[in-house]
Amino acid sequence: MITTEHLGKSFPIGGLFNRHALHAVRDVSITVGRGETLGLVGESGSGKSTVGRLMLGLLPATTGRVLFEGQDLAAARPAQMRTLRRRLQLVFQDPYASLDPRRTIGAQIADALVIHKLVSPSFRPARVAALLDQVGLAPDHAARYPHQFSGGQRQRIGIARALASGPDFLVADEPVSALDVSVQAQVLALLAGLRAELGLAMLFISHDLPVVRHLADRVAVMYLGRIMEEGPVKAVFATPRHPYTQALLSAAPSLHPERRRARTLLQGDPPSPANPPSGCVFRTRCPIAAPACASTIPALAGLTHRVACIRV
Amino acid sequence: MTRLPWPALAATALIAVLAILAPWLGLPNPVTMDVPHRLAGPSAAHWLGQDEFGRDVLTRLIWGARVSLSVAVSAAALACLIGTALGITGGYLRGIAEILTLRSIDVLLCFPPLLLALLVVTLLGPGATTLIPVLALVYLPGFTRVAYAGVLTARSQDYVEAMRVLGAGSGRIMLRTILPNIGGPVLVQFSLAMAAAVVLESGLSFLGLGVVPPAPSWGLMIGAARATMAQAPLLLLWPCLALTLTVLVMNALCDGLRDAVDPHPTYRPAARRLLDAIAPGLLPTPKAVLDLAHLTVEIDTPAGPIHPVRDVSLQVFPGETLAIVGESGSGKSVTSLAITGLLPGAAHVTEGAAFLDGTDLLRLPEESLRKLRGDKIAMVFQDPGSSLNPVHRIGAQIAEAIRAHRPLSDKAARAEAIALLRRVGLPDPDSRARAYPHELSGGQRQRVMIAIAIANHPSLLIADEPTTALDVTIQAQILELLSDLKRERGLALLFITHALPVVAEIADRVAVMYAGEIVETGPTAEVFLAPHHPYTAALLRSAPDEEGPPPVGIPGIVPPPTALPPGCTFAPRCPRAIPECTAAPPALRSAGAGRLTRCIRWNA
Repeated sequence: MITTEHLGKSFPIGGLFNRHALHAVRDVSITVGRGETLGLVGESGSGKSTVGRLMLGLLPATTGRVLFEGQDLAAARPAQMRTLRRRLQLVFQDPYASLDPRRTIGAQIADALVIHKLVSPSFRPARVAALLDQVGLAPDHAARYPHQFSGGQRQRIGIARALASGPDFLVADEPVSALDVSVQAQVLALLAGLRAELGLAMLFISHDLPVVRHLADRVAVMYLGRIMEEGPVKAVFATPRHPYTQALLSAAPSLHPERRRARTLLQGDPPSPANPPSGCVFRTRCPIAAPACASTIPALAGLTHRVACIRV
Repeated sequence: MTRLPWPALAATALIAVLAILAPWLGLPNPVTMDVPHRLAGPSAAHWLGQDEFGRDVLTRLIWGARVSLSVAVSAAALACLIGTALGITGGYLRGIAEILTLRSIDVLLCFPPLLLALLVVTLLGPGATTLIPVLALVYLPGFTRVAYAGVLTARSQDYVEAMRVLGAGSGRIMLRTILPNIGGPVLVQFSLAMAAAVVLESGLSFLGLGVVPPAPSWGLMIGAARATMAQAPLLLLWPCLALTLTVLVMNALCDGLRDAVDPHPTYRPAARRLLDAIAPGLLPTPKAVLDLAHLTVEIDTPAGPIHPVRDVSLQVFPGETLAIVGESGSGKSVTSLAITGLLPGAAHVTEGAAFLDGTDLLRLPEESLRKLRGDKIAMVFQDPGSSLNPVHRIGAQIAEAIRAHRPLSDKAARAEAIALLRRVGLPDPDSRARAYPHELSGGQRQRVMIAIAIANHPSLLIADEPTTALDVTIQAQILELLSDLKRERGLALLFITHALPVVAEIADRVAVMYAGEIVETGPTAEVFLAPHHPYTAALLRSAPDEEGPPPVGIPGIVPPPTALPPGCTFAPRCPRAIPECTAAPPALRSAGAGRLTRCIRWNA
């Protein structure tokens, strides 16, 4: 349904005289099929949120392209883009910043209906009530302001707003990481239910591996703007092949520390994306790096379970 | 939207009505002279006296309000309309629009406002109709800059991006989303401009460049009264009083309106009350580093006092990590703030004692408590970025923390700072000590915070969500460092977190908090393996784990401290609740060796 081909995004940084490019995303080729959820995991600065914004056409790609049902987002005319906007939606991370504090939530959910002229004005309240019901809120909540809701309820409102236009592809950018754990599970169950009910394609961006494990069908692991490993969730979690994925999985704290796999504790911090290492970007922290890693950029190789490492 | 500023509104309305109805109030003609009675004092016929031409002062004051206020209000409104529009378009569209609006306004700002006004008035000639555009021009840049600054903050907010995701056009976003959110500062600017315009109008009229005599205006009245100040000082008082009152009323009105259009409720913090002089009644357990007994915290709110922490007792022993785990609103952070004496002004401890090595922290004067913080009790917070001073080098900040509590030479303190940085695993500590906080990554900054915390060999380290802001690979490093330090220095570590897997990794014992109370405590491994409280069990089921079944949420929400359910606070969400659960609040009861639970059905 939605495919990226060698997607890249760089941002200019620096002053007038030392201007150079920060490559936030490089050579990302991923596909999300109808009704499928792709988990995109990585640490801060890995470029995972940028990939989400690129796939929605909110940011123009520097290289490569995004195809939605075969149509290149960058080549879409403004009128076509308006229609596409309706079908591509986003759920934000921060349930506090993503709602306008000055307007009732009913008005905010109805925005999509007004902008895209989806239902006649007299039916709008009924549609808003139906959307609120769909995300597990009471219809009479429409007249309230965002500050009257808890974090979990706000995230439900954010989901209702994203669903109002009837999207086909949803990017969920860390939708539960700001929520309490008991509420997280509620929102995850809601997303999983809606996905099944509406046949949504979803890009689920998260740094929380166990959450991705339970929600996604496939998972892509990013590090410093590149995809390190991609494949079915079961395969990647059971037999991670890239040393970064292995380290990431072993670093995640577990409820059962005694059962956890042997920990490979990574040394140091990720390098700055403004000045990434040559060759494989992970080699500076990699426990199995070889001299060849500095000269070759490993390609993502494989059929369903793809890995970008010359050492496996 | 319901709390309109009625007193200010009424006062403004009174002034406006007086000014508008001036011709119909049956007042004497404001320009009719009565030279024989010039400078006469207040009388029954002329309440405020007569001016230098014998004209009635009250009449001229009210007629003057007509001129002064209409000029000021129209000028401020004009400036507000144009200035805000320019600021919003410039700030939202950026690029060429920004150059056209903001930069041209910047040029205008280069002229001193009074000079600019004088120049235009001189060119166009005096009179009320010239004054309006002149004053508007003077106050235009202020509105543009205020709106522009507001837009720059608002445009990066997620809710603005959400409108773009929905496909809303720029015009719609500027009018419907951004304008209401920058309304507050613009309203304040409007009140300032309106007040300043009244004053400037008076000033220009006083200079003979504003309203033309004999038409009355407050500025002209002040100017005329100045000449006769020696004979009739009261004449100067009336217009000045009118001016001051009007400006004050307008400021109050605009402040009130700003609050009224903000849908958030405003709370006024109550004054801090003295600690209740309740005898502690309990002796400290000899071994524990921290012995917290029956802590209850009260916060005064307009709706009455609430208790975010109730009857919390816990002990931390040397070389032990106790984790307090709970969701937001559980009271875990308030507990740690109460122990360290850092509760916000509206909150105070009403009951309980906190013995640190035998001293009750809750009854210590602020000065002694301050000496203890950073010395015997150290703290590490969630956000290492905001806890470090951005303008000092990190080595100097650590040295300062050492010297605040120990008499060391500058050189010795610096050497110790570098040794500490080496201990917390900062690479290349000799040169990194000279780095500023922004040159370090989040994980490195948290290492620096830990270095500061352990600098004076504390007996208790309180870590409040120390790894929540960090990436998972960095979190693993920091958790490793904290448990090493605990072992090596015999620290008592009080670890506050919402993440159960982190508790499982680091804590020897765990205290689970829910809605302000401890619901279960015990050794971590035992509690996680066989929880005795249904909330602990439900929390464990809701935590996503790699292996095991998908997470199951807990229905409902944590009850707010303003509306606690009767009896057991978890009963409304509890799958095992029976009628007895809501009858009375359950007490913490012993449930096996070293374990406590606040559930009457734990072994049912």
